[in-house]
Amino acid sequence: MSKAGSISRRVFVGIAVMAAATTETGVAMAQDKPFTGQRLSVLMVGHPTTDAVRKALPDFTAATGIDVDLEVVPEADSVPKMMLEFSAGSGRYDVVEASSIHVQGFVGAKYVAPLDDLAAKSGDFYDQTDFVPAYLKPNVVEGKLYGLPLFGESSFLMYRKDLFEQYGIAVPKTFDEIETAAKTVKEKSNGEIVGITMRGQQGIQGVYIWASYLWGMGGSFLTADGKSALDTPEATKALETFAHVLREYGPVGVANMGWEENRLLFQQGKAAMTLDATVNGAFNEDPAVSTVAGKVGYAPVPVQTTTPKGGSSSLAVFNLHVASDSQQQDAAWLFVSWATSKQQQIHSLETDPNSGVTSIAAMSSVAFNKRYGSFKEAMLASLANGNPQYIPTVPQANELVNNAGIAVSKVLAGTTSAADALKEADDLNNAALTR
Amino acid sequence: MLITRNSTRNFYRPIIGFLAATSAALLLYAIWLCLHNISLMSTKDTQFVGLSNFIRLATDWRGVQALGRTALFVLLATSIEVVLGIAIAMFLDQDFRGKKIVRAVILVPMIMTPVITGLTWRFLFNAQSGMINYWLSLAGIPPIDWLGNPSIALYAVLIADIWQWTPFVVLLAMATLETIPKDLVEAARMDGASELRVIWHVILPMLRRTLGVAALIRAIDSVKAFDLFYIMTKGGPALSTETQNLYGYTVAFTNFDISYAMTIALFLTIVTNVALFVLTRFAMPKGVR
Repeated sequence: MSKAGSISRRVFVGIAVMAAATTETGVAMAQDKPFTGQRLSVLMVGHPTTDAVRKALPDFTAATGIDVDLEVVPEADSVPKMMLEFSAGSGRYDVVEASSIHVQGFVGAKYVAPLDDLAAKSGDFYDQTDFVPAYLKPNVVEGKLYGLPLFGESSFLMYRKDLFEQYGIAVPKTFDEIETAAKTVKEKSNGEIVGITMRGQQGIQGVYIWASYLWGMGGSFLTADGKSALDTPEATKALETFAHVLREYGPVGVANMGWEENRLLFQQGKAAMTLDATVNGAFNEDPAVSTVAGKVGYAPVPVQTTTPKGGSSSLAVFNLHVASDSQQQDAAWLFVSWATSKQQQIHSLETDPNSGVTSIAAMSSVAFNKRYGSFKEAMLASLANGNPQYIPTVPQANELVNNAGIAVSKVLAGTTSAADALKEADDLNNAALTR
Repeated sequence: MLITRNSTRNFYRPIIGFLAATSAALLLYAIWLCLHNISLMSTKDTQFVGLSNFIRLATDWRGVQALGRTALFVLLATSIEVVLGIAIAMFLDQDFRGKKIVRAVILVPMIMTPVITGLTWRFLFNAQSGMINYWLSLAGIPPIDWLGNPSIALYAVLIADIWQWTPFVVLLAMATLETIPKDLVEAARMDGASELRVIWHVILPMLRRTLGVAALIRAIDSVKAFDLFYIMTKGGPALSTETQNLYGYTVAFTNFDISYAMTIALFLTIVTNVALFVLTRFAMPKGVR
């Protein structure tokens, strides 16, 4: 009857698939290609990086003799899809791509395999020193490696250089300065141009941006001993400030704006500032889709306190994992290490707008600097300060984000005070953490 | 006695038996899930937890609010769609030029996939650059924050739902209207009954059964409504469009709390069944069934 009702059917199907699955046995054709004839099933997230991997698959098959069935789905659908297969133990996927926030949960539930032994067996493509250390770190749990970073991004402040000059505004370094700047823009442009636009949609969209305010004000999602920390003066101040600037100087309809709406508003030159993912830089600087190319300045996410518990810019990393129930883990490892290798990452810059490379070699390549030079420095600075705990990484992360998202949405819509909304979210999060 | 001896029973009985067995197995599995604590993200072992999921639901303000929203949406969507559908059907029942084209065009929303409908309305309702606010601005009305204002958003989704599903009622009502003997209507008119009285005392009673069926189907569909909500608002802002169905989805596919999601779904199923049972009794008394 409801969507949730369909889960029983899907688990049933999963079990049926498991029963019908036959173990594929690879036949060693040649000494240098011991996995020739094996067929990997890979689930990846729709993204320019994935497009680049897909285009280069023939190279992988030529080098290893392994065939790859690549399934690409939107990010929001990918996790439920792999979770249902994992929980049924179907062995449906050999390799999956998921965000860092899931690593702890996957490792805890033994859904993904440790990679150290596999890496020791075959290091053809693997070079640990080539990964940006901050990207590799979330994949290491209790000293063991569980995944390799495929692409990553951070967040930064984007502002219109031309408008800032015209109105005599300095680049904001604190959230108070953001509010002052937004106010100036709105007043001096007679309300023609929105002071600042940010995502406000209930759920991860709003929380992803609000978290900058939370960390920058000295707050955090969790306390040191793993309890919810949303019912604190810092969090309340963060939510009040975030909601106030958007309600006073933000766009109409901000409470339902996601990444796309926010990005378009800024690209169309209707807003003077936005705080969002570094990948937006690639869109701003593309004259084919943007009216503000060349007019945008990039700066680190502001910080209000001198003693933050963690950086106020995000660090979102998407990793490739080998499934525990895969029957072909050696071949799966080869694919994971190939897709994240420096050769493939450098190659990807030629085929796709892949500004989120995780390889140090790819980042220092000519192609990268030519294409993303205008925001490279700000992006690297954000990455360096990027907070791997920006969004919580505990197994219940999704639920915590969902509850926080309701609080953000309520305050943004003006139905509840920040203190009350966060108290509510705090109770729900503590309940989820002990469940 | 005749039916049991009929040899066609060999055809339908296995099918009915199979369907019954499947339903029973799924229902039992669903109940089993509700009595345990299965969470895909949990590292704990599966435990029998008795009725604690149901107790949690009873004290879950978010779930209770979502149920209220579902009820409001079902009530408004069903009643407006039925009333509007009948009115349009009666209007189309007359003879006029271009009737065939109008009849074809009015069915278009129903044929559209909900994803397209949702996206179209989402862009129409866009507060910054949406068509609707543009039209309003021509009339000098300031922009309305259709999907971003918690006291309006549910009604914005309702408008999209009404737009999409009223044609369904029109279709059913038109089919029935065509079977109504015209001489009855004409006789009433000859006797000097006003148009309103003709509609109220002659046409509507004959439409009663169709209306009951249409309302029933629309009510069931509105309880299950998911696509428009998911695409237009995802339950926001401030939970103002989160129906019970969407809440169940969030618990299952965002929080991966399978057992609790199943509890919500099962509860919604029970409530719906009871409500529709009452509605059936009310809409179709024995005489017309």
